[in-house]
Amino acid sequence: MSTTPPMKLLPRNAAAFRAGSGREARLAAGNPVSTRLESGVGNCFPGLECDVRNLDRRFFPFLEVDIIDNFIIVAAVDLNGAERSLAVGDLPEAAAETYRRLAGGGGENITWLVTRLKGHFGPMGELDLEVGALSTPSNGRPVDAWTAVRLLDEDSEVELTLRPYRRTGTLVLKGRRARYLDGNGALAAMFQAGELTQSLCSPWTHDFRDCGCFYWASNHPDIVTPVRLAAEPADPAWNRHVDWLRSERSMAAAPPPPDQGRDTNARRLLQMDHYEINHAWQSLHIVLEGREQGTPYVPRAPKAEALDPGRLEEYLRYVAGVELAVMHEYLAAAYSLRADVTGLSPGLADDIRAARSEIMRVAIGEMTHIRAVNDVLASWLGRARYQPALQVSRTLPLGGGTQVRPQAALPAAIDRFIDIERPSAGVDGLYARILATLEKHGTDEQEQMVRRIMAEGEEHQQTFEFIKVWLGRHAPVDYLVAANPPVPPDGHAGHTAVQSTYQGILELLYDGYLTGGINGAQSVNGARMAMLPPNGLAAQAQAVAAEGLLVVFDPIDDPRFVPIDAPQDAV
Amino acid sequence: MSPPAAAYGGPDWKRFTSHVGEHVLVVPFSRVYDLSADAARNFDAGSPDARAAVAALAAPAEGEVALDIVEEPPVQSLSLNVSVHCNLSCGYCYAGRGNFGGRQGAAMSWEVAKAAVDRLLAGADATRPITVGFLGGEPFVNRPLLHRIVRYAADAAGAGGLDVRFSVTTNGTLLRPEDHALLRAHRFAVTVSIDGAAELHDVQRPLHRAGGSSLADLIRGCAGLLAEPGRAQVAARATVTHGVVDLRERFEAILAMGFPEVGFSPLRRAAPGAGAFLDEDWPRYTRAMIALARGELAQARRSGRIRLSNLAVALKQIYRGASSPYPCGAGGGYVSVASDGRWYACHRAVGDPEFELGGNDGLDADARRRFLAGRHVHAQPGCRGCWARYLCSGGCHQEEAARTAASCDHVRDWLEFCLSAYCDATGLSHAPDEAPPPTGELAP
Repeated sequence: MSTTPPMKLLPRNAAAFRAGSGREARLAAGNPVSTRLESGVGNCFPGLECDVRNLDRRFFPFLEVDIIDNFIIVAAVDLNGAERSLAVGDLPEAAAETYRRLAGGGGENITWLVTRLKGHFGPMGELDLEVGALSTPSNGRPVDAWTAVRLLDEDSEVELTLRPYRRTGTLVLKGRRARYLDGNGALAAMFQAGELTQSLCSPWTHDFRDCGCFYWASNHPDIVTPVRLAAEPADPAWNRHVDWLRSERSMAAAPPPPDQGRDTNARRLLQMDHYEINHAWQSLHIVLEGREQGTPYVPRAPKAEALDPGRLEEYLRYVAGVELAVMHEYLAAAYSLRADVTGLSPGLADDIRAARSEIMRVAIGEMTHIRAVNDVLASWLGRARYQPALQVSRTLPLGGGTQVRPQAALPAAIDRFIDIERPSAGVDGLYARILATLEKHGTDEQEQMVRRIMAEGEEHQQTFEFIKVWLGRHAPVDYLVAANPPVPPDGHAGHTAVQSTYQGILELLYDGYLTGGINGAQSVNGARMAMLPPNGLAAQAQAVAAEGLLVVFDPIDDPRFVPIDAPQDAV
Repeated sequence: MSPPAAAYGGPDWKRFTSHVGEHVLVVPFSRVYDLSADAARNFDAGSPDARAAVAALAAPAEGEVALDIVEEPPVQSLSLNVSVHCNLSCGYCYAGRGNFGGRQGAAMSWEVAKAAVDRLLAGADATRPITVGFLGGEPFVNRPLLHRIVRYAADAAGAGGLDVRFSVTTNGTLLRPEDHALLRAHRFAVTVSIDGAAELHDVQRPLHRAGGSSLADLIRGCAGLLAEPGRAQVAARATVTHGVVDLRERFEAILAMGFPEVGFSPLRRAAPGAGAFLDEDWPRYTRAMIALARGELAQARRSGRIRLSNLAVALKQIYRGASSPYPCGAGGGYVSVASDGRWYACHRAVGDPEFELGGNDGLDADARRRFLAGRHVHAQPGCRGCWARYLCSGGCHQEEAARTAASCDHVRDWLEFCLSAYCDATGLSHAPDEAPPPTGELAP
């Protein structure tokens, strides 16, 4: 066999991609498209599209086992496979004979159990386990039979000791822990089509009622806001959470009783029983946007008014500036959080890490929005008239216009971020007017780009809501580098470096956007590289933050980047 | 550099380079790959690994049809030779001003045209577009029939749920506002024959009767359509004759008249003295085309639009991986209907019994099968060893006799240039020992 790695050919035209995809994406017989991950209707919740425990049912060659608590029960033996292996010399005769006995070769109907499991159990190392004795606490051993099987190293030597149920005598089998994937990364041939989904329950049936969220190909919500009879009911109780599974299904004028929170017994009393869900599943509501739907769903119509098309350019330039400005605020907040969390309690360290990386992710999201807005602008004006929009705005469209104010990630700052990203307000409201204009006068592509930005804004708002919860568990002094970090003093070397790199990045982006297409890619890529470690903007900003200073960006006195004001009627 | 054909029984790959790196074209199915320097050396040495890789990639992928099959697809396109006259008398006209040297005598009647369209509609694959084309002679000499058949075909196709499109090749001199309205209202591909500025065009394409400038008539006839094309796609096609030196001047002249794109066709075959290419013309023509295409690529980086049809089509075909044993649809998905209702594999072969495939009363399946089997590129002895065989496919059936080593060298040189240009235009090499892939379309 050749030892040289296979030659790589990288496809460059559609025909070359076809040659690759035809071989990899061919439909396997027996696997309908509904089994694909992207077909899962529950993808809006973290549900299951397969049950990985089914992999471990075939962890040992030629055996299929059921693993239940502390039992590993032989469910089937692939005797043909074992015989074939014997024929080609891969399996000793003694082992083949053992398989024959397990398969009931003696004519007896015996259930075999794996009583001992010997092998290399990942981080736990070499162990010889009595399966029935596995328990919690683990004392350095797997807590149950499935965990033990799961821990076995792929392709490592495993020894099974088997005993017939309620009988005496033992058999020993040696083999290698099966590989679940073949050499191409596809599921190994031993698995049958549909096997990985076979243990999933069917939605809307008996135990959909109170089974946990995790074994459903489709998921269901626990609490929702109730279907309401009036479009805008005055009673705030209509916005209270109720139990989605409540047995009281009447559509009364009064809102349904509120959810019982963590009191599971109280909740249980108010919910449909098992038999009820079988009969009345159709009365459970479809839930969209967190609310039960009683009538066919109609998307919220945009309330925004279209602009005079002659003013769209002004708005697009402003909104690009707003994206830059909020990016400034988010970066200041992200860098104000402690970067080094060693020595902190695990809960605090995790919350800081999560908050910092999420704020950073949102800031990066704003950078992509700047690019998208520029793409819309270039396409709206045409390449000949287009000049990139990279002027930071002086104000944000918040509360009638508010000054840009970089600050540490204090609770008030996070609240401000939530407001900035709130749907139908702030930045979203601005985009709504742009969208309404493009719906009337733009192209479908321009419209879709703006819709994508708006959808991401909504996700940003939810992210800040989470961050508020995470950081809200601690005192600011515990998660901030400095309680109230000041702006760097004039001439501060670190800040000067940040500012210089930042301006260089804007210049590269300007050139890249202006040139556009493939030719502009080099400049845009240069801008990206200038942000990255070890010497990029990220490292420079971190150095400033480490001194207990706020990471800020000064106004740039260059007509391409000079700050701009909002259009008069924009805020 | 191609590997030696004798070493492994036929060039199934073509190695080439571009400014972004090393590449290979896998000849069957026209698959283009980037190569690392190591892989390129493997190919250049004709290594077993390279041969094995090509052998694997030369098999049809899902949705592709094996290249040695003689397919007999339904007829999706036909051209109607609606006119047997022309108001110009171009020396190189393959149709003898429309009467094909007397083989096509009377103008097409409504009954013949309607029967042909009915037959097309009845036999076509309704899930794919159908095309009705108009040729001649000058099609607009028979304006009433052309208008009537467009309306009829559009209505009949609409009633049958078929997507019908139209094409016309015209000298552009007779177009009137009502013709513009017709062309704008339908999905028409309008090809206007124009050879360059007046001093060239009027000589090569003179008016038949009176003196004067045919170009002036063309500009008058086309201006309104060029200004407002509606659903029509208008392009210019220039015939290049013996003695070609530079194409740029003609290209610019035609663009200046308002045509959005221009394609060039070298005159391979014509009556003696009418200006057909000689072997000495081909290298000059290749150089001129490549020079023009280079300028056009630079221009396209600024404007985003390629105006040289030959280049735009080639790049599009390379992107798709166009790969066919036939150079055109002649006799397959396409037939041409003579004015008497006889069907021919090609509009240039009206009256030629070797190309006759039946008529409005029925397609002669045996004749068609014989024609397709005989015209398959695998049946062309000169083409079997050529790496360009599924891109060129032997070239126009009518021009086969004019094929020479020099004309084939032109095809290969032009295609190699286009392959490189395609790779340059699609960005940095993705090969592992090269720079990372282009990220220009990514934010920020």
